[in-house]
Amino acid sequence: MVDDEPALVRVLSIALEARGYGVTVAKTGQAAAEQAAVVEPDLIILDLGLPDVDGIRLCASLRSWYRNPIVVVTADGLQDRKIAALDAGADDYVTKPFSTGELLARIRVGLRHRQTIEAVVDPVTVRVGDLFIDVAAHQVSIGGVEVEMTPKEFRLLTLLARNRGRVLTHGVLLSHVWQGRPGTTQSLRVHVNQLRGKLGGGPARPRLVTEPGVGYRLLEPGVDLDA
Amino acid sequence: MSSPRRRLRPVTAAVAGCAIVGLLAVVLGPLSDHRTGATPALVLVVPIVVTALVGGRRAAYAVCVATTLAFSLIIPPVGSIRVGVREDLLALAVFLIVAVSVGTLVAGRIELLHDVDRQRVGLLRSVSHDLRTPLAAIKAASLDLRGDEVSDPAVRAELLDIVIDEADRLDRLVANLLSLGRIEAGFLRPQRQAVDVRELVDVSARRLERLWGEHRLEVDVPVGLPLIDADHALVEQVVVNLLENAVRHSPPGAPVRLEARAVGGGVALAVVDAGRGVDALVRGHLFEPFSSGALAGSSGIGLAICKAVVEAHGGTIAFSDAAGRGARFTATFPRA
Repeated sequence: MVDDEPALVRVLSIALEARGYGVTVAKTGQAAAEQAAVVEPDLIILDLGLPDVDGIRLCASLRSWYRNPIVVVTADGLQDRKIAALDAGADDYVTKPFSTGELLARIRVGLRHRQTIEAVVDPVTVRVGDLFIDVAAHQVSIGGVEVEMTPKEFRLLTLLARNRGRVLTHGVLLSHVWQGRPGTTQSLRVHVNQLRGKLGGGPARPRLVTEPGVGYRLLEPGVDLDA
Repeated sequence: MSSPRRRLRPVTAAVAGCAIVGLLAVVLGPLSDHRTGATPALVLVVPIVVTALVGGRRAAYAVCVATTLAFSLIIPPVGSIRVGVREDLLALAVFLIVAVSVGTLVAGRIELLHDVDRQRVGLLRSVSHDLRTPLAAIKAASLDLRGDEVSDPAVRAELLDIVIDEADRLDRLVANLLSLGRIEAGFLRPQRQAVDVRELVDVSARRLERLWGEHRLEVDVPVGLPLIDADHALVEQVVVNLLENAVRHSPPGAPVRLEARAVGGGVALAVVDAGRGVDALVRGHLFEPFSSGALAGSSGIGLAICKAVVEAHGGTIAFSDAAGRGARFTATFPRA
């Protein structure tokens, strides 16, 4: 946990330790960079308001070598800070004041995502719940039934599925899915809604969640972020 | 996202401005003679104003040069940048001066507005950080207290203490924000009375009681120190802010010193900490609201309020390096 607010650090440490996580605290950006290399944490909780460095710059520099999830904590409700942090390599964010449950849910999603990445043996197929994507064959099946996808929908779904749990910003989605041609968040919204229609609902179905003003993410079935 | 646009815009604005000036020169050239008088010159000032508005100072200067060239084409001999008569040369020089002045004034005004905008965003950011961080701790602590994951009574008591401390901190912040509002609205009028410094220090230290933790407060107030002529509530806020700053920036276990001395016609109160001092970068605007702690995420309004209160009493506040390391803030008040 990278944070310089003693009270918040203490409360969150108590909450995390009560649930079986080990917590190492760094109070400055410099300490964070040094300790992360030594401790190699499974996940970093990074407060963007630090005394010595800009949190977003720290996030980018950690991301240059650190492969596990980074969850950032922001105090301003401004979307541009969150987007900047996600584009700098953060996986997820919470806004103060958040509930412990919100943070824990994001930690679980982050850790699970990390495990699935490690477990990937065959990168040409992706499975999330009962969604199955054969990337090489350009085929998608949902609950065992093959579903037709337009090329854009296919690229969008594949990117979201490969990054399941992570928030992908509008900018990232547009640049990957529209591949150089200009797309708009409006057209992105249209494609997301079409994808949602094709995904349908159900307990084994992944959910395509809107992060208002920031982007989208695909959540594995059974994962609840407000828990 | 906005920075590349800002870099592109002056160039675009300058090019567009120069193009419009060229167009105006072509249109005005044949029409202008001695009867049109100042009209072409006045028309040519318009693109400068517009360019300064959208493209800033440099773009405006580029258009100033283009406009002066265009003006020299319009005055006889028309179509040549040569100028025949000495009066016309003077007109050209005056035009250039007016053009550059207009461009500078308009661009300066716009830059000022942008600065104010930036400050507003900074203010919003730091206030939300300062208010929401204690709120985040309170919310997380109370949610944990409601649940049953944390069962150790000692830890539960600690969580409760954190809730109380952070609520106190929020209260101090709100008091500071209200004072700042009063100061900026010009309502700050000290209700002066004779204040005993020893008492003042005791009350202020007690208000921060829960913050001390491992820190020690060393108070050095000589016997027989004159009373000060001040508004008790306001001066208390100054002392509380200075002490809170000192505690926050001191390593655990380090002492915070408060010294009072009679100086000239008043009393000087100094708060000294053993922290890491003040970065050279922020020294220049330590007492400006919303600038000193921009990076730390703390709004830094505390020191701005100290300055306003001290100055409203006719005193001064200053920062210096403490002997050894750390910071020393000295505020003076008039004696009663």
